[in-house]
Amino acid sequence: MEYINEHLWIGKLGNVFVILSFVFALLAGVSYFFAARENEVAPSWKRIARISFRIHALSVVGIVGSLFVMLYSHYFEYEYVWHHSNKEMPMRYILSCFWEGQEGSFLLWTFWHVVIGLVLQKTSKTFEAPVMATISLVQAFLTSMLLGIFVFEHRIGSNPFTVLLRNHPDFAYIPLFQNPQYLDKLDGRGLNPLLQNYWMTIHPPTLFLGFALTVVPFAYAMAGLWQKRFNDWIKPALPWAFVGVAVLGVGILMGGAWAYEALSFGGFWAWDPVENASLVPWLTLVGTAHLLLINRNHGQSLLAAFFLAILTFVLILYSTFLTRSGILGDSSVHAFTDLGMSGQLLIYLFFFLLLGVYLLIKNWKHFPRQAQEEGIWSREFWMFVGAIVLLVSSFQIMFYTSMPVWNKLFDLHKAPAKDAIGFYNSWQLPFAFITTLLIAIGQYFKYKNTELKVFLKKISISLVISLALTFLMIYLVNFDKPYYSILLFSSIFAAVANANYMFLVLKGKIRKAGASVAHIGFALVMLGVLISTSKKDIISQNTSGKSIESLGEKFSNSDNILLTLGDTLPMGKYLVTYVGRKKEGINVHFNVDYFTKDATGKLKKEFTLSPLFQINPRMGNVPEPDTRHFPTFDVYTHVTFALIEDPKEKKDNPADEYDAAKNHTMKKGDTIFSSNAIIVFDSLSTRIDKSKYKIDDKDIAVQAFFRVLDIKKTYIAAPLYVIHNNMIQPIASKVDEMGLQFMFWKIDPSTGKIEISLQEKKSNTKDFIVMQAIVFPYINILWLGAIIMAIGTLLAIIERIRK
Amino acid sequence: MKKIHIIGIVIIAVAIGAIFTTLNNTSTYASFTEAANEPGNEFHVVGKRDKEKEMVYEPKVDANKFTFFMTDNKGKECKVILHKNKPQDFEHSEQIVLIGKMKMPENEFEASDILMKCPSKYNDGKPQASN
Repeated sequence: MEYINEHLWIGKLGNVFVILSFVFALLAGVSYFFAARENEVAPSWKRIARISFRIHALSVVGIVGSLFVMLYSHYFEYEYVWHHSNKEMPMRYILSCFWEGQEGSFLLWTFWHVVIGLVLQKTSKTFEAPVMATISLVQAFLTSMLLGIFVFEHRIGSNPFTVLLRNHPDFAYIPLFQNPQYLDKLDGRGLNPLLQNYWMTIHPPTLFLGFALTVVPFAYAMAGLWQKRFNDWIKPALPWAFVGVAVLGVGILMGGAWAYEALSFGGFWAWDPVENASLVPWLTLVGTAHLLLINRNHGQSLLAAFFLAILTFVLILYSTFLTRSGILGDSSVHAFTDLGMSGQLLIYLFFFLLLGVYLLIKNWKHFPRQAQEEGIWSREFWMFVGAIVLLVSSFQIMFYTSMPVWNKLFDLHKAPAKDAIGFYNSWQLPFAFITTLLIAIGQYFKYKNTELKVFLKKISISLVISLALTFLMIYLVNFDKPYYSILLFSSIFAAVANANYMFLVLKGKIRKAGASVAHIGFALVMLGVLISTSKKDIISQNTSGKSIESLGEKFSNSDNILLTLGDTLPMGKYLVTYVGRKKEGINVHFNVDYFTKDATGKLKKEFTLSPLFQINPRMGNVPEPDTRHFPTFDVYTHVTFALIEDPKEKKDNPADEYDAAKNHTMKKGDTIFSSNAIIVFDSLSTRIDKSKYKIDDKDIAVQAFFRVLDIKKTYIAAPLYVIHNNMIQPIASKVDEMGLQFMFWKIDPSTGKIEISLQEKKSNTKDFIVMQAIVFPYINILWLGAIIMAIGTLLAIIERIRK
Repeated sequence: MKKIHIIGIVIIAVAIGAIFTTLNNTSTYASFTEAANEPGNEFHVVGKRDKEKEMVYEPKVDANKFTFFMTDNKGKECKVILHKNKPQDFEHSEQIVLIGKMKMPENEFEASDILMKCPSKYNDGKPQASN
């Protein structure tokens, strides 16, 4: 069949770029390998290598460009475009579409490697050939993930340019493709609503740049081992390692900010495997960077530096495997589905792991041995200890996160515990404590040896100030957790000691203060994390008056508040009113007003929050929180349940009719709930004014009395149970103000239990929402710390490059 | 003994500690039957929502209680009481992971948490003609 309006040329073009990029990455790798051997043909190999890598770079840019054109022009004949975008979607999310899919995110990673490679070609001088050989090899592996060709019935890679929607195995037989003009009617499946957020346009590229930067210390370490230049690689690798620390750190925190703004798990960090997978390489990268620093200044810890540089890159590959292979399955909310490339990822992982281990073992005997140990009062010793603490901390995180891998390897059936977050926290707290403590004292130690008296004198001021600030903070936020307060102290100590160092020792010379500033930032991040999570307050306890405990439930998880339209309920220090919903495009906003009471008892409106639902019939509705930011705290809210359709708009619903009856068995004193009231069964009576109800004198009649309580008033309902000529003929009782009707139709004289049926008018169904609200105190310290940390690292890098 | 040896020993001790506490601090993936054999212990049960049977969520009575039926991967069906709000996208869920305990003799699974896999979110939907 001839299909009309398909744009197959661009797919062919993109595919050519894919093949070119793979072939030339391989060629660059091989020629750089030969160029690294110092012989007479090396220079000509180097020329070939350089040109090959540039052609590779151009091809990668070509791939990126082609994919963008396809997305921009809505070429839904391509599965990737159809899968990740649609016509309705605003163009600003085109970037998110680009990297939503696995292929796109690998492409993003590849692209950053290209940028880094081009910079290294210019800057790495004598290291160019060996370093670029590794990077080209990495690129060959990465671009092979895009090939999408079959070798011995195994598919290698997944190619967004060759998979046409009409050829896709899942859809090939659907009738739509019988129509040669199917494209005229086709719209894309669209972007996951969670990703339609501005953070999603900057978080992935930052994170992937961070990932990509770990390749540089790795490639330098490999080059150092390969060419036996055991110390030379440190200097050029050092600034790259710190750029990686800054970028990856910022990328991770952006992910936290996205989770806090757009996701509804109620926080910025949940120790989710996907989060851990990026945190762990960051921790080891920080360790690597500091070990490089020790070595640069004092020539120690060489072996550890090699080890951590290699480990960090291997962990990046392992993280990619964890999150992209589908092995996390049930244990992560946002694990990705398997594209059938996990085998390829494993080969990739083991190749570089074994290569690194092989080179380390091969050179074991040639390592320069340390003449003497680090002194215990030296800066390098404590920096080394710090790097080791980070390593152990990342081991604990990775071991727990890898549980699905252990399950698969050893056929276990272990699941993460219910309180996995608490478990991670209690393990990581001591590590964070030691790390922040080391950050506080580290700079006061000199390299080689420090005079203890001088050290103590210098640090004592900071120590006293920090202790005072810690107690002030404990008082301010009513910090009642002794175990956590040690971290509170050490974080404050780290911030104060570094600030003090900056002014006293460095005399405020900002150029040299990079490390201090970065450490202050990190300490503030820890402080913000600690206070905002340990003192977070779920204020949305159920206060609607319909106590859950009265139902006799053992464990009531009362984190949600029910807000009925118009009612005002106390919540935390506020009074809140659900004032109505508003539809804007695909979003339904639920507006909730917040009031405070002044001394005279008058309500004063403070602010309105509008958490929303993104309505997406194809991918499900997604709640998005709304947060009010104050300098010292945030009020974070999200709707956990709401009727998507406004009850007012229901047309097949005459308001005056009664809804279906609900039956209840009750004994005296029991309580039941209608949608608008609490109903208490008070008493039974046989003393009835029978004439009033027109009952025969010989009939048996029992009357039940109910108290019907709404917030303002109490009503009485008194239905009758009547036996007339051996027939049950109950007489209903109505509470018209509340739209309720009671029917009393059974009594059990032995137990005193009665059965009633309760009907409500349909107009009683007022609109309502179930909402969760959390106060995060001092969360701004976290974001402020993140910015300061990035600035500090940047300063340190600039200074390092200047040297 | 050199300092590096002391550090090494401490690292190994902490790592072993991490491994053991981690292995002890886990729940187990199980079926309803296995969970019923050990009421009071916490399990993860994986299964599918029973679409035929009714689900009850009455937020006005209790916003934190949702009742439904689930069939586990071994085919056993059980009533589930989730002590949380009804997840907004529950109807779309393909696979469910429940975290909780079996309550005997009622034979009801008291779940304190739920994880859902909505394939629709990631790869569902067939190409459709629009107007």
